[in-house]
Amino acid sequence: MSLEMAAESSEGEEEGKLSGGNQVLIVDEDLRELGKKAAWSVSSCKTGNGVSSLRDDNLETYWQSDGAQPHFVNIQFQKKVRLQLVVLYVDFKLDESYTPSKISIRAGDGFHNLKEIKAVELVKPTGWLYLSLSGLDPRETFVNTFMLQIAVLSNHLNGRDTHVRQIKVYGPRPNPIPQQPFQFTSTEFITYSTIR
Amino acid sequence: MESILINCVQNNLHHFMHSNAIFISQLLCAQFPSETNLQLLAACYLQNNQAYSAYHILKGTKMPQSRYLFAISCFHMNLLGEAEAALCPANEPGAEVPNGAPGHYLLGQVYRYTDRKKRAIDHFKQALSKDPLMWAAYEELCILGDAEEATTVFGEAASFCMQKQYLNCSTSPNLSAEDCNVVATNSVSEDVSPRKLRLMQGLKDIAANPHGSSIIGGAASQLISSGSSNMSFYNTPSPMATQLSSVAPPPLCRNVMPNGPNLSTLNSDNSPKSTVNSTIQAPIQAPRRKFVGEGKLRKISGRLFSDSPRRSSRLSNEASVSSNANATMLSGNGTSNSYKGGSKLGPMTFRTMTVRKGQSWANENMDGGIHNDAVDVSRLNISSTTSCSSAAVEAKAYEQDATTLQVSGQATSESKVITGASEILTILRVLGEGYRLACLYRCKEALDTYLKLPQRHYNTGWVLSQVGKAHYELVDNLEADRVFSLARQIAPYSLEGMDIYSTVLYHLKEDMKLSYLAQELISTDRLAPQSWCAMGNCYSLQKDHETALKNFQRAVQLNPRFAYAQTLCGHEYVAQEDFENGIKSYQRALMVDPRHYNAWYGLGMLYLHQEKFEFSEHHFRMAFRINPKSSVILSYLGTALHFLKRSEEGLAVMEKAILADKKNLLPMYQKANILMSLERFDEALEVLDELKEYAPFESSVFALMGNIYKRRNMHERAMFHYGIALDLKPSATDAATIKAAIEKLYLPDELEDNL
Repeated sequence: MSLEMAAESSEGEEEGKLSGGNQVLIVDEDLRELGKKAAWSVSSCKTGNGVSSLRDDNLETYWQSDGAQPHFVNIQFQKKVRLQLVVLYVDFKLDESYTPSKISIRAGDGFHNLKEIKAVELVKPTGWLYLSLSGLDPRETFVNTFMLQIAVLSNHLNGRDTHVRQIKVYGPRPNPIPQQPFQFTSTEFITYSTIR
Repeated sequence: MESILINCVQNNLHHFMHSNAIFISQLLCAQFPSETNLQLLAACYLQNNQAYSAYHILKGTKMPQSRYLFAISCFHMNLLGEAEAALCPANEPGAEVPNGAPGHYLLGQVYRYTDRKKRAIDHFKQALSKDPLMWAAYEELCILGDAEEATTVFGEAASFCMQKQYLNCSTSPNLSAEDCNVVATNSVSEDVSPRKLRLMQGLKDIAANPHGSSIIGGAASQLISSGSSNMSFYNTPSPMATQLSSVAPPPLCRNVMPNGPNLSTLNSDNSPKSTVNSTIQAPIQAPRRKFVGEGKLRKISGRLFSDSPRRSSRLSNEASVSSNANATMLSGNGTSNSYKGGSKLGPMTFRTMTVRKGQSWANENMDGGIHNDAVDVSRLNISSTTSCSSAAVEAKAYEQDATTLQVSGQATSESKVITGASEILTILRVLGEGYRLACLYRCKEALDTYLKLPQRHYNTGWVLSQVGKAHYELVDNLEADRVFSLARQIAPYSLEGMDIYSTVLYHLKEDMKLSYLAQELISTDRLAPQSWCAMGNCYSLQKDHETALKNFQRAVQLNPRFAYAQTLCGHEYVAQEDFENGIKSYQRALMVDPRHYNAWYGLGMLYLHQEKFEFSEHHFRMAFRINPKSSVILSYLGTALHFLKRSEEGLAVMEKAILADKKNLLPMYQKANILMSLERFDEALEVLDELKEYAPFESSVFALMGNIYKRRNMHERAMFHYGIALDLKPSATDAATIKAAIEKLYLPDELEDNL
């Protein structure tokens, strides 16, 4: 399975426009979802549409903000983790003016030193959007951080509040065999690498 | 009136009409309250999977047979303390264990699950000495790691014991005639007559014993254990149906005909009778699966040779037992007969229940049984009735022959018993030795032993399953796959060893085959832990560890004594880095089976993750002690030693690992790793140069070489090897690491953070 990017446009380094979106969530086997290890919080929410709707694997429920822009989703880990991909589910057809338009992703140790690592502009998205956190340099494949913040800077049609239906964060799978410099690739090695 | 009622109940049980049996026996107990009638009622409850009812009515009873049935109920309700007290009362230390061999076996299990290994071993040995055909006890001994060689156990002494048991049947012509007559009226099992005879002979054996129950118990145990022999009695090389008529002369002791050839014929020919028998048996399967451990399943199913004969033998056992009971009812007085019936049913039901784990039909007896089994049941019922009627005719013909030829038969019966016993024991010796060696993880020897079996025994579900397991332990997954799939063809309903098969497919990354296997197993038996283990392995292969864990937990719930399910839970927890729960799971597995080396290994790996290297070394050593042939365990032991700064020891262990299995290339890689961290770069490169010839597609080998060349400042060579490593499609993380390393090669001044 290869990484599936949004159908139409490609990602640029700084400013990229994303539209479309996949209905099915497909992620590389090499990656695993790390959201369960984090504490999630939002800058504001309407009652009944809180942060849990972002993590309930239910696309019918959504988070709705309730305040001034920008709106934030904060994802805080207990220890530094390597993150590679953020996936959001947003739908212009359902949410119209609540659909986020400009999104900025920041990373850092905490609220005091967040730095933007990615910015995208969404154009009428309808489904899962994949936001890769990798830089061009191979040394920048992952972002090694304590905290990630997804900021919704503006919405479609100048809406004030935003709807986001689901967010997932992915990082690389660790080597299943501990204390190894590299992971094994061939069947022979993998078979002998563990007793089940 | 009493004897009519008793006969009716026996008849009902024989026909698997449990609710009627319960109703009538309740009536019986109300009209004629007596402990023996209570035993009958309890037996009905146990047959109907209501151990709790049997428990309540038998609580406080003193007769040996009652105590035995009570102990069985306790065992099924997981009240091991009470089971122990019933079998072995605290205030009567010298009392004999009720029912002889089965009693010892049950007590052995109680001790095993309450962690008193020595006593368990003692009782299993006693059970075997009283009844050499109690294979289940031998299996338990093998699992506990304390079995004597099969040649001793199934040797001379066993032969004498069996001869004593079966020769007695020839000394009671009158009784047997009576029995035969009585049996003729019984409409089902063809094995009835010989069983009856055995019952009589059992009576002779223990004539002095005032408690009929223990006599019955003894007889019953012989019946049970010789179940397959009964089967085989009718299984002379021609198909079952015709055998009955040919059996006539020395009716009694012919029963002891060699199990082996007959049974295997049964198996390999797939003779109609065998299928019939299996179907007859089907309805009885009312499982108390929750309480039956994997060990038990193996025991019961390992009772003789393979699944189908075992099933058939069990079936015939049950059929004959109940028919015997019926017969006795008719021939004797109410009281003594009724409790014969009860007692026979006791051990029978225990077997039934414990065996049922792997059976598909078990469900119908449970309330709200699975509906897809209902279809099977109806089909089975139809076939069983047809087979019954044909058997009945045969039985009747047989009876007449038997009575007339009885006297003349006795002279030759003795020699027949001797040859029969020795033939049975010959086969058991091979199977026992094979199983024992496999449990000691001397797998090559085990395989050689199993090969000594005649084709018809080798090609049975059970044996092939064992062979498959042995190949798996030798890490020969392809061969294991081949053997297991053959086993599935021969015995598609059997779940024995299928959990291991699913692991084999997991290792081979055969996701299609694995998911097919899991689906088949679940549809065969939704309540067997093996099915859920297979399903869990499916999800684990897809890296969906959460769902895999749920499936394994389900397997654990279905049978908390199935150690492998717990170990698999542990593996999934570790995959999710939930080390606390991982430890708990592995420890639970070890509580069930301290020789389950996978769990020791799992703990070793867990501690390696946590960098608790002393614990890691300890656990790998424990695993090694149980399975000293495993190169994988050795290689990790070496790694742990290296991290404990005992690198020389680690390297020595690594050498052993390399030698233990030529096909395992990992120890060489680990050796190079250790050498590199000891800065013995040239030696490391030497090892890797050799290794890359054997594993030209393994990215990590070249990546490690790149690292070493980089340390030696041989940048071109490093670059070359890193390039190959990248071509071999490493994981994303490693690709990033390697690329970063390459960048660094050309910019040595730049600060590195990734490397």
